[in-house]
Amino acid sequence: MSDDLFDVAIIGCGPAGLQAAIHACGKKAKVVVFGKSERSSLYKAHVANFCCFEEVVPGRVLLESGKFQAEKLGAVFVPQDVVDTKNENEQFTLVSENNETFLAKTLVLALGVSRKKLKVKGEKEFLGRGVSYCVDCDAGFYRDAQVVIVGNESAAVTGALTLLGFASKVFLVCKELSVSDALHQKLEKSGVTVMEGTWVKEILGDAGVDKVALTNGQDLSASGIFIELGAKGAMELAANLGVAFDAETFSFIETNKKQETNIPGLYAAGDITGQPWQIAKAVGEGCVAGLEAAQRAKRLQT
Amino acid sequence: MGQNLLDVNDSTFESEILNADKPALVDFWAPWCGPCKAIAPVFEELQGLYGDKILFARCNVDQSPNTPTKYGIRAIPTLILFKDGKVFDQLVGAVPKSQIEEFAKKAL
Repeated sequence: MSDDLFDVAIIGCGPAGLQAAIHACGKKAKVVVFGKSERSSLYKAHVANFCCFEEVVPGRVLLESGKFQAEKLGAVFVPQDVVDTKNENEQFTLVSENNETFLAKTLVLALGVSRKKLKVKGEKEFLGRGVSYCVDCDAGFYRDAQVVIVGNESAAVTGALTLLGFASKVFLVCKELSVSDALHQKLEKSGVTVMEGTWVKEILGDAGVDKVALTNGQDLSASGIFIELGAKGAMELAANLGVAFDAETFSFIETNKKQETNIPGLYAAGDITGQPWQIAKAVGEGCVAGLEAAQRAKRLQT
Repeated sequence: MGQNLLDVNDSTFESEILNADKPALVDFWAPWCGPCKAIAPVFEELQGLYGDKILFARCNVDQSPNTPTKYGIRAIPTLILFKDGKVFDQLVGAVPKSQIEEFAKKAL
């Protein structure tokens, strides 16, 4: 599969990603969709305001049937997070958490928004003085230091592996790991010290971070703590492609009415483009993004 | 806008920033840092607005490791405002544009 060139790659399998897949498949495009349904904010929601569904529908049911529908039309689903993206020669390269590489002519970002803050004492106080939200940005400041990374998913695990190349000791604090088997095995074989079944209670220090207190009563001596909750988000994946964010908050990707970003071949749809965070908006934007991406891929062919 | 940002490094930092004849706002960044790329256009826009009163500069932490160490920088992007050769204030992360502008205006 890795050597195949897809017409449309979609990151995210919530309503925006699914609708993009359905419409791109309708244009006979070769489509691959990344992500985990249970991570969509729709998964645990109960939907009561989506047109044509008069009764309350569990979000999980909608996601499952949307996936089934897209699969029937030919979309390939890769139930993994994307951990790296590149854009070279009008082609997108995506690396999954199993370290598999995928190539696509166009890319739709439908990865939603997620909570990045830990909300513990010391987090705000030590921002930039030991607290970091970006391993890729800040790992180099922790050469030969002891560091903690916290999170249950691919961002934390890939981040921990990256930190091994810099820090003298890396503690991964997690409640319960939720990553692919291949990534889990890589972690087990690595030198990362995994502290599972606990969480960060407080970040302590003086001028900078000195230690991290865990809910199991243990204290970890560390000069840095990386907070990497969930999967890599738009800021990590898309900013490196040069995507423009809204200048007011840097939280949303700017698109035009065709769901195009400032990068040719790169589209965005759903919550990641801004509020309202509603299925109706997500599927509308997903539809447009899927059609536009498929059409562009076809144009590139001729 | 349009005007290029001044690039400073370990060897030019003292002469260009610490000895500057006006307040200097330095963006510590690196090419692999997504949030740094995100705020870069805002920084340039602010230079267009306040460039006559504040010196806008950027320092690549990859090429100049000593300066960030000296100022205790452990996360990027970090903006530091220098007045009379001393650190006046510091701002960490890709924060909203309004917050960056408020921060820059402290120099005035």
